Amino acid sequence: MRMIKAIASAGLLVFALTAGLLRAQDGERGSRPYFQSRAFNAPILAGWDDQSGDDFAQFHLAEAQATIRTAIAPAAEALDAAGAELSAAFGFDLGAPVFQEKVNLADGTWRALVYDIDAETTASVMARQDGLQSIVISFVERDAAARTVMLTIAQADDSLADATPEIAIALESLAGLSLSELQRADSQTLPSGEWTVYAGESVMAMGVIFGNDAYVALQMGDAGDLAALAEAYNRTLLGFFITPDNSQYLALGLAAAFVILAALIGSLYWRERNVQKDLALLRELAREDE
Amino acid sequence: MGETEAMSPIELALETSKPPRLLRLLTLVTVLGFGGTLFLGLGVAGTDIQQGEIQRIFYIHMPSFFGAFTAFGLTVAGGALYLARGSEKWDRIALAGVEVGLAFSLINLLTGSIWARPIWNTWWTWDPRLTSAAVMCLTYAAYLMLRAGIDDRGRRRAFMSVYGILAFVTVLITLFIIRVVPETIHPVIVGASPQNAQGGFEATSGVVTALIPSLIFWLTLLPITLMWHRVRLEERLEALDRLKMRALSE
Repeated sequence: MRMIKAIASAGLLVFALTAGLLRAQDGERGSRPYFQSRAFNAPILAGWDDQSGDDFAQFHLAEAQATIRTAIAPAAEALDAAGAELSAAFGFDLGAPVFQEKVNLADGTWRALVYDIDAETTASVMARQDGLQSIVISFVERDAAARTVMLTIAQADDSLADATPEIAIALESLAGLSLSELQRADSQTLPSGEWTVYAGESVMAMGVIFGNDAYVALQMGDAGDLAALAEAYNRTLLGFFITPDNSQYLALGLAAAFVILAALIGSLYWRERNVQKDLALLRELAREDE
Repeated sequence: MGETEAMSPIELALETSKPPRLLRLLTLVTVLGFGGTLFLGLGVAGTDIQQGEIQRIFYIHMPSFFGAFTAFGLTVAGGALYLARGSEKWDRIALAGVEVGLAFSLINLLTGSIWARPIWNTWWTWDPRLTSAAVMCLTYAAYLMLRAGIDDRGRRRAFMSVYGILAFVTVLITLFIIRVVPETIHPVIVGASPQNAQGGFEATSGVVTALIPSLIFWLTLLPITLMWHRVRLEERLEALDRLKMRALSE
């Protein structure tokens, strides 16, 4: 009986410690600003102009002429969804994509697409089917000084720690260059990870590995803002569907587990106590008979 | 030994209420293990970059299913051995397995539902894995209700042994359904997730560091300790019943 009480006390202690730990972590982390809609969440990009509506998140960086937009498109097929979204949001009339790839991310299969719209406009799109519609995350840049694209490419060799092979694929597919025409530069550490960087004459490419996929950013021209754009787009991709601060759900899950375990242990305790009571009663009856 | 032989059966039952030394030691180790694995999941494993804090519920969600697997597996073993040898102790183990396994299954189901809310944007969906887990819980809840409804001890034990063996099919279906039914959004940890899986994450070294001890703990220590306590309780309940019958007959 004492042992059961000790277990119950220890359980309560562990729960209290856990709650304290979570509160401490919350205090350290602070709040993270997110755009939230019924279908998705998108990180609010600091320093970008927030042009979001009720059901889409859109951020614009004037000096780079770049827009990152997350929205739901009324088409199940990724190509149709990308066309519908870019047409409705930006008025683009799309031709065939100049690059496309299927990638399996943690939340499902995405289609990565790149469109050259006109001489100064490029659109990089990620689209994933969600029931009868699709989620579309698009990066559009209209900077006459540079052509910037964002790609997600399945990692060819997951034993490699950097994105060099995928950067080579991006360079060859979209710039017609081989990797040997660029020099490896110092890696850049951004909040999303350590990016491998290659630079050449008016060309810069950088890539980071996350999971089994590589995120590659490619810029042809002299704009020089690739790291900031890549980080903003990557942050949007990685965080768009998650409820921003979900530690309260963790606390709820832990509480549910503790309550069920406590109910099981409590049930053992109460039944054991009833056995003891009944045995004591039987002993009293036996003594009275004697 | 001489003292216990001289005791009446009631005195003996009262005297043996204290758990044996090994069980007490095991209970202590289990409590420490529980705190330790919780610390690994909440304090040592890093925060998932995509899912945030809620991903830490994984260190209870998945191991609790495998704890239920152990408990329900012991129900199968207990039931089969009871049918083969007829000893009541195997039936007690089978019953203990169902009670403990059902509690673990409910933990698995509830933590999964709570995890789904921020990640899948819903508390519940009729996904094959979720549906089969719910059916598994209901099947074992029915075991306890049916058992309480059969008065004849011999028939009850035989019937529930067969039921406990057959019910394990629901555990196997729950375990393997996402490998054979592609229309699921439930991710898998070992091997490639189904195409539409949502909410998976990479098994980084931090994840593995927290997961392996939790898995071992929930697979072995926790179910075995709780089942041992439940088996002892059942022994004492049966002894009490016999004493009551004897008192009534006198």
